[in-house]
Amino acid sequence: MKITDACVYPYPYGDSSVRRMALEAKALGFDCLVAADTPSGEFYGIEIHSGILIRDTGVRDLISRIKRERNHEAVVSVQAGDNGFNRSVINLKGVHILRGLHSADKNAFDHVAAKMAADNGVAIDLDLSPLISGRGFTRQRAMHRYRDILVLKRRYEFPITISSHARSILEMRAVREITGLCSLIGMDIPDVEKAFFGVDIITTPPNPAVKVIV
Amino acid sequence: MSTRPPTLREKRRYLLVQIEPAGTIIDQKDLYYTVSDATTSLWGDVVAAVITSAVVASEGQYVIIRCQRGTEQDLSIALSTITTCCDIPIALRMVAASGTIESLRERIRTVKTPGPGSISPRECTFDKKMFQINRCDGQKVDVIEKGFKNTNRLFLTREDMEEL
Repeated sequence: MKITDACVYPYPYGDSSVRRMALEAKALGFDCLVAADTPSGEFYGIEIHSGILIRDTGVRDLISRIKRERNHEAVVSVQAGDNGFNRSVINLKGVHILRGLHSADKNAFDHVAAKMAADNGVAIDLDLSPLISGRGFTRQRAMHRYRDILVLKRRYEFPITISSHARSILEMRAVREITGLCSLIGMDIPDVEKAFFGVDIITTPPNPAVKVIV
Repeated sequence: MSTRPPTLREKRRYLLVQIEPAGTIIDQKDLYYTVSDATTSLWGDVVAAVITSAVVASEGQYVIIRCQRGTEQDLSIALSTITTCCDIPIALRMVAASGTIESLRERIRTVKTPGPGSISPRECTFDKKMFQINRCDGQKVDVIEKGFKNTNRLFLTREDMEEL
């Protein structure tokens, strides 16, 4: 299992190259990064997963996009919308992560969606950028939403991922710092460890129900 | 006023913090206000009054921040929410915590101070644009785009430049 930051934006979205981000991630205690629209690879001992973030699309367009990306072994994540959209997304094969629930509607993720996420192995992402750079109401709302998600997580056991959404090496945070930030939303150390391994959990194919022994 | 005996004094801890990007010049007072603002914003006035953070020393890219014993974790979480100081993007990376300033000074001396590095051309091209090399430390290369309009700093590596 690898400690993974589930979303970073290297150059040209941000001001740091993917290699520099890998170098920084190594110093900060990570083993793996999911980098948006960047080919997979390994730099300075840090594994880079290609990440595809789909946003502002209807379900029909989303299905065709996911079909196109299915063979690329990329981590596909979708920006959350309203409750109906989120339930549809969670049911789609090929979607790994549902993101941005902190800025979605209050009822965007309920107990039904939580159960579906657990059944389909779709992770819910905790974006730490509103906790790091947000102030006042923005941060309070994000913390409230994340606490609510964690209540559902404890009940239904769906996977969780943690991402910094860093566009610069200056926005990346160390594993210890992230553990501290997650303690603000009621996550203890085993919870955080499990969330760091979230990308590994969702990208590893499940064990087959029937084993063929020759 | 006579000094209090050691058993009655407030127990303090000191955090050694590294400022990134290296070479950023930050006034100690500005940093104090930034730390104080971040602490108050995250924990509120009540806990900030208990933490009583203060920037007590600054050496190169390192600063030493004081707090009450037992509040180190709260302060380090607050430090991780700092993204700018006087509109300059920075990151504060906690290196160590100690009960004395002297031991942290010793720690600064033992940490290898990055030199200016050696890269023969002081200019380079990246993504078909001309950049001026600002800082070079091992694999890390910080560049600034040439021109008047866009002077943002980019964070690259030597390999990024060799590839082009």
